[in-house]
Amino acid sequence: MKLFMIIYLFISLVFSLAAEDGNGSSFPESNLSSQLQAVEAIDPPKRSSMDVTLDDAAQKLKSSHVQERTGAAKLLGKYVGSQAALLLIGALDDASELVRRAALVSLVEHFNNGSPVFEQALAEKIFSMIGDPDVEVRREASALIPRLVPGLMRSGMEKIQVNGRTVFRSVPGRLREDLRQLAEECLRDTDSIVRQNMLKNHYSLRFQIPPQTFGALLEDNDVAVLLAALDQVRMYATQPGIYQKIEALAVHRDMGVRAKLAKTVLSLGRSFPEYRKVLRQLTNDQADEIATLAAVDLARLGERVSPEMIDRIIEYLSLSRGLYGKAETLFYSLSALGRDSARIYEALLVHPSASMRAKAWHHHLILSEGWKSPTLWIPAMEDRDLQVRETVLSLVRGRVDKIEKNELLRLIGHPFAEVRTMAAELLLVADPKVVQNQFFELLIDEDSLVRSTTLRVLANLRFENWIHLHARSLNDEDYTIQRAAMDGLLGDRAEGVPALLEFVRKYPAERISSLARSELQKMGIKP
Amino acid sequence: MKIYWIILLFALIPGLEYGYCLYAAPDMGAGAVRIMQLRRDGVSRIRYPDALPSLLDMMNERANARFDPDPLFIESLTDERLFENPILYINCDELPSFDFSTEENDALRRYMELGGFVYLDAGIKASFLGTDLGHSYAAWEERDEVRSWFGEIFPEKAFAPLPRNHEIFRTFYKGLPDNEYLRLEEDQKRLPDTVLTFVEQEKWPQGTYSLVGIRVKDRLACVASPICAMGWGRDEFGAWIPPISFRIRESAEDFDETLKVASFSGQTFEVTREDGLKDEIYLLPGQRPLWVKEPTGRWRIFKYYSGEEISNYAHSFYARLGMNVFLYALLN
Repeated sequence: MKLFMIIYLFISLVFSLAAEDGNGSSFPESNLSSQLQAVEAIDPPKRSSMDVTLDDAAQKLKSSHVQERTGAAKLLGKYVGSQAALLLIGALDDASELVRRAALVSLVEHFNNGSPVFEQALAEKIFSMIGDPDVEVRREASALIPRLVPGLMRSGMEKIQVNGRTVFRSVPGRLREDLRQLAEECLRDTDSIVRQNMLKNHYSLRFQIPPQTFGALLEDNDVAVLLAALDQVRMYATQPGIYQKIEALAVHRDMGVRAKLAKTVLSLGRSFPEYRKVLRQLTNDQADEIATLAAVDLARLGERVSPEMIDRIIEYLSLSRGLYGKAETLFYSLSALGRDSARIYEALLVHPSASMRAKAWHHHLILSEGWKSPTLWIPAMEDRDLQVRETVLSLVRGRVDKIEKNELLRLIGHPFAEVRTMAAELLLVADPKVVQNQFFELLIDEDSLVRSTTLRVLANLRFENWIHLHARSLNDEDYTIQRAAMDGLLGDRAEGVPALLEFVRKYPAERISSLARSELQKMGIKP
Repeated sequence: MKIYWIILLFALIPGLEYGYCLYAAPDMGAGAVRIMQLRRDGVSRIRYPDALPSLLDMMNERANARFDPDPLFIESLTDERLFENPILYINCDELPSFDFSTEENDALRRYMELGGFVYLDAGIKASFLGTDLGHSYAAWEERDEVRSWFGEIFPEKAFAPLPRNHEIFRTFYKGLPDNEYLRLEEDQKRLPDTVLTFVEQEKWPQGTYSLVGIRVKDRLACVASPICAMGWGRDEFGAWIPPISFRIRESAEDFDETLKVASFSGQTFEVTREDGLKDEIYLLPGQRPLWVKEPTGRWRIFKYYSGEEISNYAHSFYARLGMNVFLYALLN
């Protein structure tokens, strides 16, 4: 071990000399590191205990070298515990912003698991860093507010004397006055991230922003601050001057802000009718997406939408690239238009986006009760996208009570299997003569689901000769066909079950036979 | 790519033969490219549902490209629609397993040979991250599962790192987002100093990232990256979702000595670097990495930064990179 230490110290000495020289070529770093690694591979340096590491860091925090103090503050972030936290809290008062930044980032690391800071003194100290001269420190501290709130707002008890008697009374959680002032100043910070962080969290710190300050935030140059302010505006909607600021945002250059405004004033308009004027103003917006969104929002509040605006909605949604973003929001708001929305859905049936077409078909058929008239929904079967066809099929399935011969023929001869499956299901509501002439076409379909569905329908209809047909299908190569045939036969005790029994006895090794035997036994029949 | 379109044309002919008449179907955006996404078991594992639609929307807005904003979801690689669309996107973290049938592997091989492009998001994932889907780590090799999967598809090929000067990093955007792009005032701090330095010099120099790829017939046909989809999503007002934080390597004067002996009782993992050497990552089980010993013998500590500015910057980078990859796939 001693020998190792000597070698190690020698190499370290040579290394430090080379580093001080700043002449990498005199002692190539790669050579050195490989030699160091070789030494370590024999006997790597022992790691110190937690106490020693923390003591060492504590000493370094007192160093006159900023780099050393910074390094110690960074390292302490890796040791979650009260001792390390106390050292870091002390480092928050360091003269160097580098140390303060490192200490705060390390403290954040301590609470990375999402747990709040309950210790009031600790929370207040960290919170006070929102007044730090360094912007990075202020950003970190203000981003940490949600986790500081439980510690900052702790309620408690106090002992007072009332008429000479000792009385205990509760003290509500409240932000310390000096910290509240700091928080207010933070809303006017030169850095937009700091303003944003405080704005988003001020309600949990339970202080009211003065109307002038909130008004100024509604005029902020930073879009993210504006969006955050619009999120909070409900609390200040009746404060003097706020309505005017909101009204002014109706012509803001950023479309995201105007879209957010439309959503905000829709909410405000329910409680404060004067804000509906802003929505009406937004219906004149040059951007279709804003104007149409505002119009639909007004409809939600009970106002009628003009035919011209319906045309504008159709135009906007038709030109949108899909059911996404604002177009999606608008689309799902259309129900507020009631019957007026029918024209819009109908126009969107040929939209380029499959999702939009699928949803448009869905709403179109619901409004028109389209399942009552196959001529309304059959055109959707020609759509190239499976999503559209399946949406429509799942809507009309089980609801169609009549279908004409030519309509059924169109479905039977359809290229898509799910449509032919639907045709098989519709045999249930078709004219028996049509069924008689067409079922065979479906029974020899290339798709097994179509064939098995047809078998099930024929069993349900007790169609002429169905027993024979099902008994023969028990020998089919496709298990789903065998299963459909078995289920059909099991449903008829008089003729179907004897036919199944005969099959099971004749073909005991057939795949379906074991299941059939089990089903027959459940019915009390010994195969 | 031309070959692909010719093959595609032929692939469509049987459909016409069988009378697949689409007379009432609208034209899908008159030539808009539809991105396919492989989703194995419905929606149960979808982690970033807004990601791909947001990115497609951004590409349509910014690049005037013509992408269908609805991704086409396929559940199997034997889906016949695979051969109708030139780009397949797979978020490897969303796959329940990497078990693909021989038919699927054959189809994917054929797809790539015919000109199809595969983007394996989260196809790079350092082993120490385990099943934690909320983290990424820019290792410089594909994850083990991807390596063995593609070993079945192309036994004769292997993933290779893309050099920092590869044109994929400059297809549309070049470099890192500046204040103007981030919509920050000129005098505003983009990122904390240490973060910005690390990002510009090591994490994403010149807007590049750790990508590995496979070439098929002299064409980059597949790219794997650490998870990028987490950076693509936007809400309806244009704000980025969800928040993203940064892992940064920081040093201090004495770390080479301090970290070597500092108290530690966890595990170490080796991760491949850009130069092919290995970093030794120190971490406590279930926690984020503490520090790293680099092959040069240098020790650095991992620090974690979060906040609006960090998140916005990360989103901007990932979205720009995502755009570059998809547009590269389309144009090459």
